[in-house]
Amino acid sequence: MRVSGQAVAVAERTKLVPLSLLRAGEKGRIGGVYGDGALVHRLREMGLHDGAMVHMVRPGSPCIIRLKGQSLGFRMDDVAHVLVQLGGASS
Amino acid sequence: MSPVTEPHRVAVALIGNPNTGKSTLFGAISGIPQRVGNYPGVTVEMAVGEFTHAGRRWSLIDLPGTYSLAPRSPDEMVTVDALLGRTPAVPPPDLVVCVVAANNLERNFYLVSQVLELGLPLVVALSMVDLADAQGTTIDAPGLSIRLGVPVVPVQAHRGIGIEELKGAIARGAARPAPPPESPFPEPFQDEVRRLESLLASEQPINGACTIPRYLVERLLLDTSGYLHERLFQDCPLDGPGIKQALREARERLAENHCPVPEVETLARYSWVARTTQGLVAHPDEHRVTWGDRLDSVLTSRLWGSLFLALVMLLMFNAVFTWAKWPMDGIEALIGGASQRIEAALPEGPLRSLLIDGVISGIGAVVVFLPQIFILFLILTSLEECGYLARAAYIMDRLMARVGLSGKSFIPLLSSFACAIPGVMSTRVIEDRRDRLTTILIAPLMSCSARLPVYTLMIAAFIPERRLLGGMIGLQGLTLFALYLVGIVVAAAVALVLKRTLLRGAPPPFVMELPPYKWPSPRVVFRRMLERGWDFLRNAGTIIFAVSIVMWGALSYPRMSSGEAAPFLAERQRLESRLAAARGSGDAAEEEAIAAGLADVANWLEGAQKRQSLLGRAGRLIEPMVKPLGWDWRIGSAVIASFPAREVVVATLGVIFDVGKDAAEGDGSLRLGSALRAASWPQTGRPLFNIPVALSIMVFFALCAQCVSTLAVIGRETGSWTWPAFTFAYMTALAYLAAFLTYQVAMWVCG
Repeated sequence: MRVSGQAVAVAERTKLVPLSLLRAGEKGRIGGVYGDGALVHRLREMGLHDGAMVHMVRPGSPCIIRLKGQSLGFRMDDVAHVLVQLGGASS
Repeated sequence: MSPVTEPHRVAVALIGNPNTGKSTLFGAISGIPQRVGNYPGVTVEMAVGEFTHAGRRWSLIDLPGTYSLAPRSPDEMVTVDALLGRTPAVPPPDLVVCVVAANNLERNFYLVSQVLELGLPLVVALSMVDLADAQGTTIDAPGLSIRLGVPVVPVQAHRGIGIEELKGAIARGAARPAPPPESPFPEPFQDEVRRLESLLASEQPINGACTIPRYLVERLLLDTSGYLHERLFQDCPLDGPGIKQALREARERLAENHCPVPEVETLARYSWVARTTQGLVAHPDEHRVTWGDRLDSVLTSRLWGSLFLALVMLLMFNAVFTWAKWPMDGIEALIGGASQRIEAALPEGPLRSLLIDGVISGIGAVVVFLPQIFILFLILTSLEECGYLARAAYIMDRLMARVGLSGKSFIPLLSSFACAIPGVMSTRVIEDRRDRLTTILIAPLMSCSARLPVYTLMIAAFIPERRLLGGMIGLQGLTLFALYLVGIVVAAAVALVLKRTLLRGAPPPFVMELPPYKWPSPRVVFRRMLERGWDFLRNAGTIIFAVSIVMWGALSYPRMSSGEAAPFLAERQRLESRLAAARGSGDAAEEEAIAAGLADVANWLEGAQKRQSLLGRAGRLIEPMVKPLGWDWRIGSAVIASFPAREVVVATLGVIFDVGKDAAEGDGSLRLGSALRAASWPQTGRPLFNIPVALSIMVFFALCAQCVSTLAVIGRETGSWTWPAFTFAYMTALAYLAAFLTYQVAMWVCG
């Protein structure tokens, strides 16, 4: 899969991890969103801009994340990948 | 463009993210909307209301909730056009009120930054302050107001707090000139927008009809999908290809200048948001657990959440069927009363028949669905308003993804079990065009309430009452369950096929806001319910009505010749004179028996007329086609008659099998059941109906598109007649094939 290949390459270079690896209660800062252009833009508009803090509420597929006061139900599969910088231990 | 009658009315546009309480605020300011703007091929609605403040009259335009003013689809374009005064459907706004949810200020301010660029006076209404308090978020509204340069008014619409202050701010804002548009974009980007503007101005034809506002020029540069370019230049004699070239070059220069399009927009706006809210909005260090979080930990859990959803669905269907029963009975009684009155007032003849069997029963067929639609939307809107539907979509996403859809398709499909019409209408929440279409196309396969009378008739008459698994399950109940399952399984298969062929695409991503829980606003719920009911009456109603009249014609003409009717009339005359004699002698038992005999004659006469009619002839014509399904021409014509609306089949069967059209009421169903059991093939005398025939009829009804209203609504929602035609064709073909297989396999099994 092209998208995941690109994301993996970025992840290896920058020590970012896919959002789906976060466990319940873990936090991370958005480090990049890769995939279909229109979808990426929409996600950015929803607040997944680089540096935004995400909080994994319920991992799995789909997962629930908390992002600046909003809860989002979230499933990306092969369409797009969100990478995060693990920030702060689990709270 | 303001209405001629009221030159001084000021138009205010209301915009905001979804789930900000915008509709509640609209209701609190202007009550029930006066009119709703509708657009062909576009599914968004704009309500226009009115209010009086400071001795003036104001119009309030409720625009659809949106996260962003980036037009990428016709639906989104309508909102932007309305804000820029580029559509005749609503008055051009003189001022914009942007509703901002305090619990999620950053994302809401993204939209504010776009609205600020429109160059219109702006008032920010700050809602959901109580939710922000519960989260521990503090907001300095006066400080924000100073930094933004526009009024920021805290409101609690459901309690009526802040409404007068908001109206005051609107009045003051409208009296002032608009603030100069402020761009959050970096210098290189603004330079490119200016360059593009002057290029467009040099291309501008003299009539000026194609003036493109600055905001759209900026969007043109940002929209890499090409939608806006196509849209703006489709009816504009500007040099489209030349501009495309200029756009490409501008984007290349921007990429070199570290302003990649479209990322530059979210980067610029979110850094503007960060600058604007710095020091004025404080979030707690640690997330404070609210009661909503506790509720979510149960309602979104895989086990408890699924169980709760199942319970909600069960209660909802129960309510739709039981609550709707008495208003539906009431409507049927009213229709019956009206028919009787006409029957008494008019002599027997074609006009009376047209009025009773065509017009009145046509109106009845439409209105009788209103209670179910109202109740379903009352419940669904309440669940949506309190925030639960988003959780239900989340729970169901895993399952829906298996057939190539997302959780967002779940609610429309769920509604379709009551009626496909509201189901199709509620697909508007699905943004992706292909998913929305797939959902619309499979929604009519869900067994709706109109199929239930057919199922109950056939099951009661032909499926033996046998207990299985030690008395736990009845065979009749199992058959009913299997019929519902047939619809679901076929729908899943059709969705899979569609998503691999016509509407090819990977399962759509699922990104859905799970809004904070809140109490539903009765006013909003009531308003949506009325809108849906009205939608149904206007769209489906007119077509059902027209088709009912056509079917009446097909069942009534050509009339029987007097020679053909003579034996029935002679019999009637004989019975009538005997009745008079019985009355004279006071023999009550004899009188009753003769009256029953008279009713039978009337049913025979009607049956003979129906066999003679266009529809009866059509039934005979298609008999060779339906014979492989185990049907004769009588079942064939009843099925043809039920294509406009499947629920009429019971009444039509009643007429054709000489039981009378009251077969759908009271003990009529039992009488029809025994009449069907007694029916036989004329050549061989072997019973017409057996279990395989009953099964093939039920499977046919489970899968066939026998509902003109649904097809009409699909036509409206998809903006073309291709999709309803496709739905009709594929469902009818599937129904025929499945009924054929059912009959042949069942015959083989039954020996």
